[in-house]
Amino acid sequence: MMAALYRAGIRPRLRYQETILLALMGVALFAGWASLASQQAGRMTIGDPAIPGIYVGILFAIHLAFVLTGRRMDQVLLPVTGMLGSLSLLLMARLPQGLAGLSVGSLELGLAPLQLLWLSLALAVLAVLAVAVRNDNWLREYKYTWAAVGIGLLLLVFVLSPDTSGPRLSLQIGPIAGQPSELLKVILVVFLAGYLAENRTLLARTSTRLGPISLPPVPYLLPMVAMWGVALAIVIIQRDLGAALLFFTVFLTLLYVATRRFAYVVLGMAMFLGGAVILYQLFPLVRVRVDVWLDPWSDPLDTGFQIIHALYAFGRGGILGTGLGAGLPAVGGTPGDLPAIHTDFVYAALGEELGMLGALAIVALYAVIAERGLRIAARAADDFRALLATGLTLVIVIQAALIIGGNLKLVPLTGITLPFISYGGSSLLANAIVVGLMLALSDRGVEPPPPPSSARRFHLPFRSPA
Amino acid sequence: MDAFTITLWIVRITFVILLYLFFAALLRVLWRDLRSTVATSGRSLGRLVVVASPEGRPPAGSSIPLDAITSLGRDVNNSITVEDSFVSADHAVLTFRGRAWYLEDRGSTNGTYVNGQRVAGVVPLGYGDEVQLGQVRLRLERVPA
Repeated sequence: MMAALYRAGIRPRLRYQETILLALMGVALFAGWASLASQQAGRMTIGDPAIPGIYVGILFAIHLAFVLTGRRMDQVLLPVTGMLGSLSLLLMARLPQGLAGLSVGSLELGLAPLQLLWLSLALAVLAVLAVAVRNDNWLREYKYTWAAVGIGLLLLVFVLSPDTSGPRLSLQIGPIAGQPSELLKVILVVFLAGYLAENRTLLARTSTRLGPISLPPVPYLLPMVAMWGVALAIVIIQRDLGAALLFFTVFLTLLYVATRRFAYVVLGMAMFLGGAVILYQLFPLVRVRVDVWLDPWSDPLDTGFQIIHALYAFGRGGILGTGLGAGLPAVGGTPGDLPAIHTDFVYAALGEELGMLGALAIVALYAVIAERGLRIAARAADDFRALLATGLTLVIVIQAALIIGGNLKLVPLTGITLPFISYGGSSLLANAIVVGLMLALSDRGVEPPPPPSSARRFHLPFRSPA
Repeated sequence: MDAFTITLWIVRITFVILLYLFFAALLRVLWRDLRSTVATSGRSLGRLVVVASPEGRPPAGSSIPLDAITSLGRDVNNSITVEDSFVSADHAVLTFRGRAWYLEDRGSTNGTYVNGQRVAGVVPLGYGDEVQLGQVRLRLERVPA
């Protein structure tokens, strides 16, 4: 096999740091698994090693693939993603298995095996993207096509999904169901990176003055207004506050990174506040979310129920936590006790069982993703790659911040997932695409960026200089 | 307290400790990476890659590391001497100010072009942008770490 690789011009390269980090992650997962199994069995046991065994095996297989293909990619992202997935598996094995189910023939899959299945698929996508993406023209050149695909997805949800009072998130085509807004966030970042890389010098220019703040030429403000409109449309059409908030925050931050003009941030915040006030007046869903955030105890049995129980869960957890599997039934004991515990309230559930120490470790893992992503951006060869890496990082980190903040009642709760920890295929796959692209961008042996297309024009004939 | 409770407590705490050991190992990698970046940065702010140069000086395909102030032109006293019939003696200046590159045309006869647009005065320049003086085309690139 090695000889075949050498003939193909591929030189394997050891990834020593990744090996150590993955090994540590594996040991931690098995320790957690033993802790959970012993708690549930009432005696010391290491539990059924099938699920953690398969999971660690897949991660090492991907590690081996990276080594054999000789990629010089970031060595931290895969173990961090793996650790978040490990926490997810521990939590899913602890929650009632009936929260999700799939039966294939005589095989009945509960919550934990299903999550393992999704995680495996997601990691496979991550690995394929990281190894296979060797140039970025398919993202760079077709940014408007990608934008059209994104808007098409949004419209598809509007047309096809049933009209319910809650968020319209899922899209079902035949047997395949998914949440398009998860994929939409990746497409949005690709489009924004392409658009901003092309127009950033124009956007950074000032010509219009509005009192004390100077603005860029009015035509270049239109995309910003359009983006604001798209965010509003998502709220109105999909009733999906989380996605709207995520998209607009990512957009504003990326605009600031590209232009270094604080006026955009001020203007964006003003537009956000304006939009928020209008939506609060017009849509009961928005009003409920904000009112519950301000005072969950005004309606403790209905709308405030989730937040109150999340807060109690953090309180019970204390500093060291109750231990895996030892939390109170109110958080994830019997189905229906706390709705959406396996998607929206995973942070509260882990906060109870792992305590403040565990909760802080989770935040630290997302901080490491942020550091790695921004470092990849700082090292990128050109503006498009730098903005793409920044945007991809922001998508994960801001999403984590929004839902962790929502669980802690720091910001109004929005129904988005905690990347790599929440249950759900769409979320796992979309975030795997994000990390896969980040890994591909971090590769130091990747093709150089193409020259800007407009520069192919020549300016002839010349006059001879004096 | 029976033996089971104590053992379970130890396993539980071991898990949290392992979580933090993993994080410590992460920080070690991050710290080393940061130190090596600091050690190699300041070497060069950027480079110009020669995309096309019909008269061969500078040769096409070569890459030239840049200082904070780099003058371009046909005169031998420039930082980069561009031997092209359509380039002026004192053609253009590339400067790195704050955290960005700027290009200034020094009143050249045939002008300086960025991505196909003729420039006047000082214009900001991004990594990946292509500069044209006479028939010579140069691309500004970040120096890979």
